[in-house]
Amino acid sequence: MESETIERIEQLKPKNAVRNLDALGRLFMDNREMSIWERDTSTLPKGARKWRKNALEFARKEIRPIAAKADLNPDDFDTKPLRNAAIRRGLLSLLLPFPLGKASITSSVKSLSLQVVLAAEELTTECGGLALVLLAPYLGIAPLLLSGHLPTYLRHFIPFCFKLTWFDNPACFSYAITEPGAGSDVEETIGGATARLVTTARPVKGGYVLNGRKCFISNGAIADKVTVYAKLEGEGIESWTCFIVEKSMKGFSVGRHERKMGQRASDASELIFEDVFVPNRNIVGKLRSGWANNRNVLNYSRPSVGAMSIGHGRGAFERALEFCRRTKLGNKRLIDYHDVQMELADMMISLSAARAMVWKSCMQFRCNQGSSAAVKVFASDTAVKVSNQAMELMGDHGYVHANGVERSWRDARLTQIYEGTNQINRLALIESQWDVELDRSVLGYG
Amino acid sequence: MEIDIQEIEQFVDLAEKFSQKSILPMFEGEFSDGNLELLPGIYDTAFDIGFASSPDMSLAGSEYGIWGSEIDSSGILSSILTLLKISEVCGGVAMGLNSQGVATNLMLQAKKELPFATAKVALCFQEGFSLPWCGTILSPNEDLPARISTSARSAENGYIINGSKSFVYSMGDVDAYVLLARVEDKWGCFIIPSDDDGLTGKDVGQRTGMRACRVNHLEFNDVFVPEDARIDDGDAMSFAIRAMCLNWIGITAIAAGIAKGAVASARTYIADRYQGGGQIEDHPAIKRLVADSEARAYAAKAAVLSLKDIDLSFAKNSLARDLKLCAMAKLTGLDLCAMAVTDCLQTFGGYGYMEDFGMEKRLRDVTTLKSAFGAPNYLRQLIFDLGKEI
Repeated sequence: MESETIERIEQLKPKNAVRNLDALGRLFMDNREMSIWERDTSTLPKGARKWRKNALEFARKEIRPIAAKADLNPDDFDTKPLRNAAIRRGLLSLLLPFPLGKASITSSVKSLSLQVVLAAEELTTECGGLALVLLAPYLGIAPLLLSGHLPTYLRHFIPFCFKLTWFDNPACFSYAITEPGAGSDVEETIGGATARLVTTARPVKGGYVLNGRKCFISNGAIADKVTVYAKLEGEGIESWTCFIVEKSMKGFSVGRHERKMGQRASDASELIFEDVFVPNRNIVGKLRSGWANNRNVLNYSRPSVGAMSIGHGRGAFERALEFCRRTKLGNKRLIDYHDVQMELADMMISLSAARAMVWKSCMQFRCNQGSSAAVKVFASDTAVKVSNQAMELMGDHGYVHANGVERSWRDARLTQIYEGTNQINRLALIESQWDVELDRSVLGYG
Repeated sequence: MEIDIQEIEQFVDLAEKFSQKSILPMFEGEFSDGNLELLPGIYDTAFDIGFASSPDMSLAGSEYGIWGSEIDSSGILSSILTLLKISEVCGGVAMGLNSQGVATNLMLQAKKELPFATAKVALCFQEGFSLPWCGTILSPNEDLPARISTSARSAENGYIINGSKSFVYSMGDVDAYVLLARVEDKWGCFIIPSDDDGLTGKDVGQRTGMRACRVNHLEFNDVFVPEDARIDDGDAMSFAIRAMCLNWIGITAIAAGIAKGAVASARTYIADRYQGGGQIEDHPAIKRLVADSEARAYAAKAAVLSLKDIDLSFAKNSLARDLKLCAMAKLTGLDLCAMAVTDCLQTFGGYGYMEDFGMEKRLRDVTTLKSAFGAPNYLRQLIFDLGKEI
């Protein structure tokens, strides 16, 4: 290209051409040189901004160096030090503000889930499995918070939050709804009505005796306490009740550890209940409130899964971008080729769209079924699409583990399945809007 | 001698028996990619039966194996169908056989005795980031965007080779490499024993999938090859075209086989599994996933079968068209197959993501193939450029 043309191109770039505008005109033009991350963060409430930044720093400093090893050798990898570091940093205390948590109070009163969601994306960019180790306890404790049950708060939730916020080594919770014969069934109304559940609670003096099995439980093997949903003996899923089962309880054991395609650093385990006595004080909320509680937990957890999905996609994007910057084809870097730029732009657009959707779903204090389900579907599909693009952009290098992109792709694929498959989430969206706008015309067509 | 359709059907039957008896036992026990220690035995059986082609004329596969010498007279249908069938059970083993076949086929073009005996061979073609682009295929000295850096310099009674090749696919334990390198401004094709002192290889390390086939990077440092180890007649461009076409046809066939296997597994699972008050297969969402997958797997198979009569002479007037057809089959076929496999996996719910049902392996394998030996962006560029050459 001739030097004259190069000079003209330079002049025409908006950041230079802006000088020709009047002062007021220049003010109307947002010409700040900021990364997308910085620009997005600047739109958040101040307290939330801080946690997004903290989570990013933590992910790069603490997760990045151990991510590949944790993925390759999950059985030999001790995740406890990482969890302790995250607790010290306050990253597991973002549900509530002072004195029961470290969340920003101004952000908390606007949205119960925003700060967790922000941290979820950042942590996941470096490793889906390790991020799940840190985030699954939020899911485990959510039934307690969402029960709205004062005795549950006093006996379990408040002491837990207090310990987590002010002392080291609090209990690690996990969440158990899936059964070997009922996966999607426990996440959807019609499936629930016909589900073949085996985990049953039989009333005895002073409590209940649990029998049955749960499967694919994230952090099941390392959890100290599990929020377990069981039907009452002789009744159906409408009797579902949430119980806190403690690791030390007699008859409780961890069975098979699943071998997964991705998110390998976090265990997905089978939990076995053989005549486990659970005292009445360990019932979460009221008897038979479990189904509603479970459905609402999913409403709050799905935006987090959406955020994790974006983290998987972003991690793949960032590592592919780095590859394109350092790899040359002929005398040019890959990133200097237009077709590569088109692909990168497409990935950035997809991630931005998904993030906007996730953040929007958390802009109200409560999460709702329709938008949470929609977010989860869109963000997880986006994550798989973007991580696929990242792999393809790198050619054969994309499938090499050492480059870190294929790990994000493997991790991302699970987000289309857990917290309800994307098919089940589509049904959840339809269900939430059916009576309101789908089954009757609200468009003035009569 | 022509191979008739009955003989092809017998090949395919034999391929099915080989898959069931020799490959399937690899997946007994808890191995995400099968017990890879059994691979040497599996490949030995493939040589014995004749699926693995070989430059060693005494072996059965030399003529009728995958990409064996017979394809030049009888066509490539039997190779396509054999790869399709084997990859229904394991894409990685099929890829190993495909790589062996392509390298063998190039050697068999020489139609002369080689100075040393070989059985297991592998093709060294790709350099650095990608395969050569259109201009560079036509002239390896062309630097649009990157000329071929691995070169053979004339020396007394032979050539001295320097350079490096990336992502060399093989069955493992390779006896000799088939190298495509630059000789001044033309292509040359050389056979190099794997134990040459100037040759160093490195495994690419842990990979997403296709773990039953080996992938190495190779470096050539002043490797001497005698004159009779150059197997072309002064310009090996047709060898380069042949290598790309056969590889892309083979890879597309393997992907179609993986997708077909995934559809069959999904159909079995959904007929058996209960959810929402009935079998999973009764749910419209599942029906949609499986129907789309089946249609896509079929379309990919149709795309690769459409190439069964391709002219392997790669005459100058049809060369660009043939290469373009193969590139389009790989680009589209792999995309269709990857979508089919991921949708089939979805019908399993959480079990699809676990190693037990083999679905996650299929997804890893087909996704690896998408980027292997010509990723989509490369293929798009090549298809466009070849369109201008036609």
